[in-house]
Amino acid sequence: MADDAAAAVSVPERTSIPSGDDSVWADVSPLLESACKDLRDGELIHGDNFNLFAAMSALEIMDPKMDSGIVCKYYSIDEAIENGAAPVPISINKTVDVQCTIDIMDHLLACEATWHKGHSLAQTVFSCIYLLRPDRTSSHALLHSYCRVIRATCKAVISVVSDARTHEEDDLFTMAYGLPLDGDGDEKCLSLLNAVEETISRQLRACKAPSSRRRVLEDMEPLQTNLDLEEGYCKALLCRLRFRKHFYHALTSMRRPQGRGLELARKHIATCISELDCIYRSSDFLRSSACGTSEDGIENRTTASGCQPIGFDASLNCRLSAPTPPRAIKILSWKKLLLVQDGKLYGRDSMFTVITRAAVLPEVAKNHDVQKNEYFVQLGQLVINMLKILCTNAAWQRRKLGKMLQDWRVMYVQLELAFRKEFGEVSRIPEDENVCVKIFQHILLWVEEQTYWIASRFLILGFELELYSPSEYCMVYWYMYVVLIKLSEKTHLKMAAKNDMGKRKGKKKRDSAKDVAREYRIPPAVLFLQCQICLAEGLTMMLAALRNEHMILQSRNPFNTEQERFIQHFELLQKACIPDHVSFHSFRESTTYARLSTLVMYNYFKDAQRIAKEAKSSFSNDPDKLAELRKIEQVAEHNSIALNVISRVGALDPTLKASFEFSHHPYFATAVVKRS
Amino acid sequence: MELEAEKSLIQAESSDGPNSNSSDFVAHVRKLLFRRMLVGIRDGRFFLGTFHCMDKQGNIILQDAVEYRSTRRSSTSPMEQRCLGLILIPSSCRSSCHVGCSIEEQLSLLKL
Repeated sequence: MADDAAAAVSVPERTSIPSGDDSVWADVSPLLESACKDLRDGELIHGDNFNLFAAMSALEIMDPKMDSGIVCKYYSIDEAIENGAAPVPISINKTVDVQCTIDIMDHLLACEATWHKGHSLAQTVFSCIYLLRPDRTSSHALLHSYCRVIRATCKAVISVVSDARTHEEDDLFTMAYGLPLDGDGDEKCLSLLNAVEETISRQLRACKAPSSRRRVLEDMEPLQTNLDLEEGYCKALLCRLRFRKHFYHALTSMRRPQGRGLELARKHIATCISELDCIYRSSDFLRSSACGTSEDGIENRTTASGCQPIGFDASLNCRLSAPTPPRAIKILSWKKLLLVQDGKLYGRDSMFTVITRAAVLPEVAKNHDVQKNEYFVQLGQLVINMLKILCTNAAWQRRKLGKMLQDWRVMYVQLELAFRKEFGEVSRIPEDENVCVKIFQHILLWVEEQTYWIASRFLILGFELELYSPSEYCMVYWYMYVVLIKLSEKTHLKMAAKNDMGKRKGKKKRDSAKDVAREYRIPPAVLFLQCQICLAEGLTMMLAALRNEHMILQSRNPFNTEQERFIQHFELLQKACIPDHVSFHSFRESTTYARLSTLVMYNYFKDAQRIAKEAKSSFSNDPDKLAELRKIEQVAEHNSIALNVISRVGALDPTLKASFEFSHHPYFATAVVKRS
Repeated sequence: MELEAEKSLIQAESSDGPNSNSSDFVAHVRKLLFRRMLVGIRDGRFFLGTFHCMDKQGNIILQDAVEYRSTRRSSTSPMEQRCLGLILIPSSCRSSCHVGCSIEEQLSLLKL
């Protein structure tokens, strides 16, 4: 009796949870305790529907990895607001208010980037209390307009990604789970933003104007009270607002049907990049005028000023993030987010390039009837699927590409059969059927080329995903070598066939000498592949030679034999016969007799350097290709030197060992020679 | 062997007996299976679900559990709820445990 009374008093809230009609809550703790004492070790009380395996999936309460509702600082958003976690305005001191607003903007950008990288919306962007209660900020024009744009942008990104259907649940959660994404009037966010931008522009003009003119513009209230800092703060705000505006425009332009907005989107993206540059440059000013920042740890701060932003609490929304384990999220540091790779806006660029690539897809005769052939329709679908897959994250991409290999191979076989059926082995083909033959031949070549390209990408992604252990590099490079050889072969044939077509159209007698000369010039694309081939071959042989002469740092794998690992890695390629007649035995044959002494004599790395140099002249207006060739040269040079060192000194010094690191190129390793 | 046989005999005999026996408690808890159970946690949350399983340590599994939490630290405040599904509540964080039943049943429980 006493126990029951005590229980009733200590948990008054319990009474607010209904127990049903004519029923009460009865305390069973004493009963449970007694029953536990009587249970044998390992005995469970359960019903007939109980399944131990299924019970393992139960969420464990109070385990931080599984229980997303653990009460932290505040019980709810409202409690946080009541306790002043997100004040509006942020400070009565206008300077501090502006400073803090900029911090919030920076942190939100970092959160958004973190969201794009794959974390949940609730714990990133919507960890901002200001975003969670849209109406609270209406008195603060700057914060209000910024929040609106963020919400509208997130909403737009979600619909774009959903429509493209290129994501998997763990990449980017497209469900909002009750987060306030549909702010009332968010569509008008741009007009609000423009108004705020206009005001700040005028404030900037006012502070820059000489004092004589300032009297004229005196009715313009400054942004904040410290006149020395006015220009800096205005500029810092303007570039941030403009970035948001152009980013939103870029998104809406890209969504226009049939690619009509692509040119416009490109322009907006270019503006975004230049504004990002301004944002980055504003950090010096913001850091110096910020109050109370320490120099250390600036690398990991999410704001330009280095100050902690006000109004963020990721734990409040934990329960609204999807049914995933509540992982602690590290928001991307400000510096990392702005040092965007090669000017590509985090992730968005891939979709854009894919769409333009699709429009430029080579078709020999675009409106020819042959495209109605079912196989061509299937091919079209295959290409669309591949393009979609190329937009996805590396892991998913590799998995899907691996599965695609067989589809492409089958496609090729089907097309070849159809070709033979149509035209047979007839040597004399009537004139109007000639175009059809040409189309088929081109497409067949192109399909083969694509197949080998997919295979090479499949192998390369394995490096990015760290799927290979160093002891497997040899076989991977070897396979890359055989695939790249085939790829370059097909590419070369394709280009020769293209030239052939060109020649037939406008051949003039006096150009024949030039034509001959042109024929013998290897196309730059093939040269590019050839230097990669040399690198791959060089690495294969070097790794094999080092292993044969016991000079390589590697751990023995106690679980599988080398053949088993070969089969595991290349099963999909082997099944699709890409390439044909390639097996573990051919790999062994190629590498068993590799010796350092022979490698020094026939140095593949020197070849790679030579070809890379030759190729560079053809790619003078392609910075990406030039950068790639430079990296290849570096790898070749370092490996060549390492090869020389180890072959000369290795015999004398048995402690000398080689290891391989990806210091100059993401997937071509550089040998590092050390004393073990 | 003899002792065990004796024990099981006693248990079988006394299962219908009016006197409380070691296995009675277990049998009563078994009867609570599939009933609505409200478990309170030390941080102030409550979980309402169907009683699914319990072990010797007192860890409880609830099925179709709903989490209740107040929106303020103070006790007088509206409750928020959220569905969780199958959950395990370790005995260490359990602060209370109640089962929904009729008043008569509550009285008989008290007798135990």
